[in-house]
Amino acid sequence: MSADRLVKRFGELTAVDDVSFAIRPGETYGLLGPNGAGKTTIINMVAGLIPADSGSVDVAGIRMDPAGIAVKRHLGLVPQELAIYPDLTARENLNFFGRLQGLGRKELSSRVNAVLELLGLAERAGEQTKKYSGGMKRRLNIGIGLLHRPGLLILDEPTVGVDPQSRNSILEAVGDLSAGGTAVLYTTHYMEEAERLCDRIAILDQGQIQAEGTRDELITLTGGVDRISLVGAGRSAAAAEALRSLDGVHRVTDSGGTELILTVTDGAALLAGIVSTAVRSGMTLASVSVTRPDLESVFLHLTGKALRD
Amino acid sequence: MKAILAIAGVEVRRFLRDRSNIFFAFIFPLLLILLLGTQFGSSSAETRVALAGGSGTALLTALTEQLEADGMQVESGTAQVVREQLGRGRADVGLIISNEAATAFNDERRTELEILTASQASAQAALQQVRGSLQAISMRHSQLAALEQGGLAAEAAKSALTHAREAVQAPRVDILDTDNTAKEFRGLGVFDLGAVQQLLLFIFLSSLTGSATLIQARRFGVISRTLAAPVSSRQTIAGQAVGRFGIASVQGAYILVGTALLFGVDWGNLWLTALVLVAFSAVAAAGAMIIGSLLDHDGAATGIGIGSGLVLAGLGGCMVPPEFFAEPLQSFSWLTPHRWAYDALAAIQRRDAAFTDILPSLGVLAVMAAFLLLCGAWLLRRSLQRAL
Repeated sequence: MSADRLVKRFGELTAVDDVSFAIRPGETYGLLGPNGAGKTTIINMVAGLIPADSGSVDVAGIRMDPAGIAVKRHLGLVPQELAIYPDLTARENLNFFGRLQGLGRKELSSRVNAVLELLGLAERAGEQTKKYSGGMKRRLNIGIGLLHRPGLLILDEPTVGVDPQSRNSILEAVGDLSAGGTAVLYTTHYMEEAERLCDRIAILDQGQIQAEGTRDELITLTGGVDRISLVGAGRSAAAAEALRSLDGVHRVTDSGGTELILTVTDGAALLAGIVSTAVRSGMTLASVSVTRPDLESVFLHLTGKALRD
Repeated sequence: MKAILAIAGVEVRRFLRDRSNIFFAFIFPLLLILLLGTQFGSSSAETRVALAGGSGTALLTALTEQLEADGMQVESGTAQVVREQLGRGRADVGLIISNEAATAFNDERRTELEILTASQASAQAALQQVRGSLQAISMRHSQLAALEQGGLAAEAAKSALTHAREAVQAPRVDILDTDNTAKEFRGLGVFDLGAVQQLLLFIFLSSLTGSATLIQARRFGVISRTLAAPVSSRQTIAGQAVGRFGIASVQGAYILVGTALLFGVDWGNLWLTALVLVAFSAVAAAGAMIIGSLLDHDGAATGIGIGSGLVLAGLGGCMVPPEFFAEPLQSFSWLTPHRWAYDALAAIQRRDAAFTDILPSLGVLAVMAAFLLLCGAWLLRRSLQRAL
């Protein structure tokens, strides 16, 4: 699929601003950004749920249109909310959505069984889903999206509120699908998920793609800098000011007076000087950590704020 | 079409799966019809007379024979039972025979009976019929007395009177009931009226409260998800509308078949009855679409559904028969779909109406359904756009 210069406005707010990207078969493409960055709006446009104000989306060579039927056969959507009927069983839910996808009776039956097996829900397929755990509901939510073997699977924060075990199982299932040739568009604000799953990642903030590439390509954007976190109380503003003047310190971000985040070259070598400067400036330190570059660092480097902000 | 039926099928399935609906949609209506029928139902086209007292007396025998000969239905019981029968509308006229009256009748003296009438409109015409019968007994008694006084033996007097009656064409008085309201219900079975009223009431009630499933589908995000499938928004909306129609139809068909089998309700021409139910169910379904699209909380939908369903049913004649409505309620009732459906079903059930007779009712119901459906579809589309 490809998205070309997508723009979406809601009144005065430009939720998506000139966003373009493409995903190849078998590739997992991540949209990484904080809440409100525009991820779900992009997904809604790609899935044909809302029209773009300008720009276009093509899936399997067909132009996406909210009224289009043929193009929607190629995609499977896993929305962020649990879009399942709690008073129906897992099998009934799958049967219902399978019929909407136009699957014939025989194919539907075999696909429902296969998906239930894949997601580990076969044994409780006849139970109403309101009796399921959160993780089981999430798995079913995903299963509905891949029931008809879509060429493009769109997952909008599929692991929100899921226990670690279910999250792992979901990530494994997505990895298997991608390995099987399915193109996956994956949105998340969990950096670890994006690093683990995605072949390429777009860093999204305020409706715009700030950077795009593989994990390694994105990390080089930081210039190989380390991230040092100083957590404590006291005169953090004065400490930040003092730390900015040190050699090798590129940026100091004050996160609400209790944490200073520094991007530095060779954190291990500079650590002792940084700690003593902070203490001298009146900051009482509770903890210090040094992190090698990761996507969090990239986001901080590109936007000047932490991903969780 | 497959998508529309899939959406509609799930909506009906979810409605049937709700345990509270099993009672309110399937058990409660039949219980209500049974209760109303046994307490207030009337199964006779004849004047019903209840007699109390005078057990084994000549007066009771004479009254019973004469009333039955005049085409009336006679039942006996205690004075208390007679009063209850009259109070419940299960008898038109009650006659209380005192011991003095029985003795006076035997002694060929002036005999006085206590006559009670029911409150229903048909009681006045029935009273006239009973008076006619009493006059006939009195006349026969007087004639026998005159013949016996003239020297004939009792048996000879009776025989002469019988011969005279056969030989002479006696003047006859027919009591013609011109009360259209009373005539309207003549010939109905015990459960017939209640079944029609509860059928309409529960179709609407179940449909409106069933709109909760539409709200849930919106809230769960399932409708949004269907729009990401190869299903157009028109198909999605049509599926929801057909689903509401399915809920109304299931409810209607259940009461129709259930009352026919369990209580022997005569629905008249079944094809025409089914046609009225289809039109009425379409109105109910469209009403449910509006509630299901306007509200965001399924509990509120249930409350509003019950409230508006009962009010419309009351105004439309599903609690008190609209024939008893005074103006301006009589005119106002025609604003409800219930009244049009009631009118059509009454015409089929009571007057063997043909298709052309109920065509105006069907037309009005169709217009109501189309208008409400357009509003419901527009509101649902708007709510989906807002949700996305």
